[in-house]
Amino acid sequence: MIAIIVQLLIGGILLGGLYALIAFGLSLIYGVARVLNFAHGTLLAIAGIAASVMFANWNLSPIVIAVILFPVFFGFGWLMYVALLEPLTHRNPMQMTVGTVLVTVGLLLVLSDLAALFAGSTSKNIRLGADVFAFGGIFMSTTDFYILVGIVVLTLALHLILTRTWFGRAVRSVTQDSVGARICGVRAGAIHAATVAFGSGIAAVAGMLYVLSYPINPYEGFGLTVKAFTVIILGGIGSLPGALLAGIFLGVAEVLCGFFWTSDWAPGLSIMLLLAILVVFPHGLLKRSAT
Amino acid sequence: MKRVCGVIAAGVFVLASAASPAAAKLNSCDGPVVLGTTISVTGTNSSLAGRWDKMTDMFEREFNKTGGVFLSSCNKKLPIKIVHYDDQSIAATAVGLYEKMATVDNVDLFVGPDWSTHGFPVSQVFEKYKIPSVMSNVATPKLYQSGFHYISGMALDAATWSKNYFDMVAQQNPKPKSVFWIVQDNLVTKAVQEHNAKYADEAGIKTVGIEGFAGSTRNFSGIVLKIKAAQPDLIFISAFDAVSVPLLQQMRQLQVKAMDVHHIMASGSLARQADLEGVTGEIYWHEGIKGPYTELASAVLKAADIKIFDYVWTVGRMDSYLVMLQAIERAGAVDREKVAAELHKPGATWKRVGGEFKFHQGGLSQIVSYTHQMQKGEPVVVWPKEQATGKMIWPSPSWH
Repeated sequence: MIAIIVQLLIGGILLGGLYALIAFGLSLIYGVARVLNFAHGTLLAIAGIAASVMFANWNLSPIVIAVILFPVFFGFGWLMYVALLEPLTHRNPMQMTVGTVLVTVGLLLVLSDLAALFAGSTSKNIRLGADVFAFGGIFMSTTDFYILVGIVVLTLALHLILTRTWFGRAVRSVTQDSVGARICGVRAGAIHAATVAFGSGIAAVAGMLYVLSYPINPYEGFGLTVKAFTVIILGGIGSLPGALLAGIFLGVAEVLCGFFWTSDWAPGLSIMLLLAILVVFPHGLLKRSAT
Repeated sequence: MKRVCGVIAAGVFVLASAASPAAAKLNSCDGPVVLGTTISVTGTNSSLAGRWDKMTDMFEREFNKTGGVFLSSCNKKLPIKIVHYDDQSIAATAVGLYEKMATVDNVDLFVGPDWSTHGFPVSQVFEKYKIPSVMSNVATPKLYQSGFHYISGMALDAATWSKNYFDMVAQQNPKPKSVFWIVQDNLVTKAVQEHNAKYADEAGIKTVGIEGFAGSTRNFSGIVLKIKAAQPDLIFISAFDAVSVPLLQQMRQLQVKAMDVHHIMASGSLARQADLEGVTGEIYWHEGIKGPYTELASAVLKAADIKIFDYVWTVGRMDSYLVMLQAIERAGAVDREKVAAELHKPGATWKRVGGEFKFHQGGLSQIVSYTHQMQKGEPVVVWPKEQATGKMIWPSPSWH
């Protein structure tokens, strides 16, 4: 029974870690720029599809693919903010909120269809020829191991960037007091753009890691965005450690539900957990904001 | 004032002409016979139907090369025209488009749509305008038992979907004794499992587990560990192809053993994403299976650049065109009531790409699939024996 529980926990942590990675970028973007980016999951899906196409056609290493995708999506995110979202910041708060929702939902529809047009609408993944290690009835593939390492490295890198770099300090200062940050010479508009760009870059790397385990098609992005919203609400809006904890909590809960009850109810479970935690912890599992 | 009215009238005429590019005339011997349909060119189902717009155009071209459809009332053949729109995989959009085709495009008859989720709401449009349709890939028997007069459907019948498979396994040595069912929470996949459980019973195969899962499930550790505990001889997966990729990957990873793993929609798309070697599956039609329209189908697929194993339901859609055209010929005129009566004539035999068939009383085709097995990366039809293109390898070496 212990082997079964450990096996389930491995599966849950892997799934939850990916949920957390999806949520990181979204949480960062909302925490700093106050943009509810409904196209975030679609960016991740497109990055995943691009990664699988690159792998299939050029047999590139996933690490090289991530190195290529990050700057491309960083640039796209910057452009997206400057061209589509920044003009909305001159409107009143209500118009800006509604405007960002409309713009990002429109963008996800356009991006999904463009991705389907250019890369096809069938789902795609990266199939690495993975070895499986067995230890006392517990199995783990090398691919899963690489994904776990990727999740840990990306989480640490993100944490270090936000706490140890000028960019991270600027992001936190704009989040805490935008006017004060400007007085100190921080260009809040540029930080907003850079945050959206950075969040999009993270989505690209998360997309590459996602397709190592699961297939994705251009239309699946919205479902992932909804899952990421669940994670950031559970973890506390703007809190990256909270998002990590909530992602893993959700992933483990879904997998345990599949074994001890039925997988039919796993998606519903996340909604039930969300409602329960909102009642008990209205500010999420962790109140403290990393940003 | 007269000039203004004239300009407006001309404008309205031009707009109306543009809106109905192939407006048909019922019971006429002039012009093409116009069929209207929607296809899921974009959206979630486009992975199954994304190339069918091209296929439909090619079908129209290839069919018209034969002169078209013969109308005895006109004593001549008329060309066909298929008006098609993208329903974006959204049932509500499909409903709106069929309304448009009935009222603006004024098509003669309908074909399609695909998928049970679309079939239920769109059937109301067929009844409302009294325009018959031959739907495709709508396999849920309940729809056809609802008493609708204007629907027929070309699809594998959920009730007999895997009948051939259980006929086959009953004759294998060693004979399997137990089965574990894994079922996606979906109208069709649930119906397939429910109906085919009785074939397993009849074959003396005992159910040792049944697990459902939602289409959004990504980690199947819970299900796979339950399968390992149950140690079944057969694992029967009733699910769509894309959602099953992580399931099959995790079954391999956790080293699941069985005599055979069966997937009701094992397709080229699934084979590219997961290790499908040795897995058996169902297929509507495959190259090499002879039938009345094999040459036409091959020409259309080639012209549309469709590999049948990548889009396994393509011929179901093509069959819906062929059956509607046969119904028009039998009616002898583009007469909606006569065509509907022909389609519901009891005991009538129809031709499809893969052979002949009859409709059930409610209008669903009585078609049993072919069973195939993935061998060295290629699908090989293994049952029924008379249509087999290769031999079944039993037990499946990659799972046993």
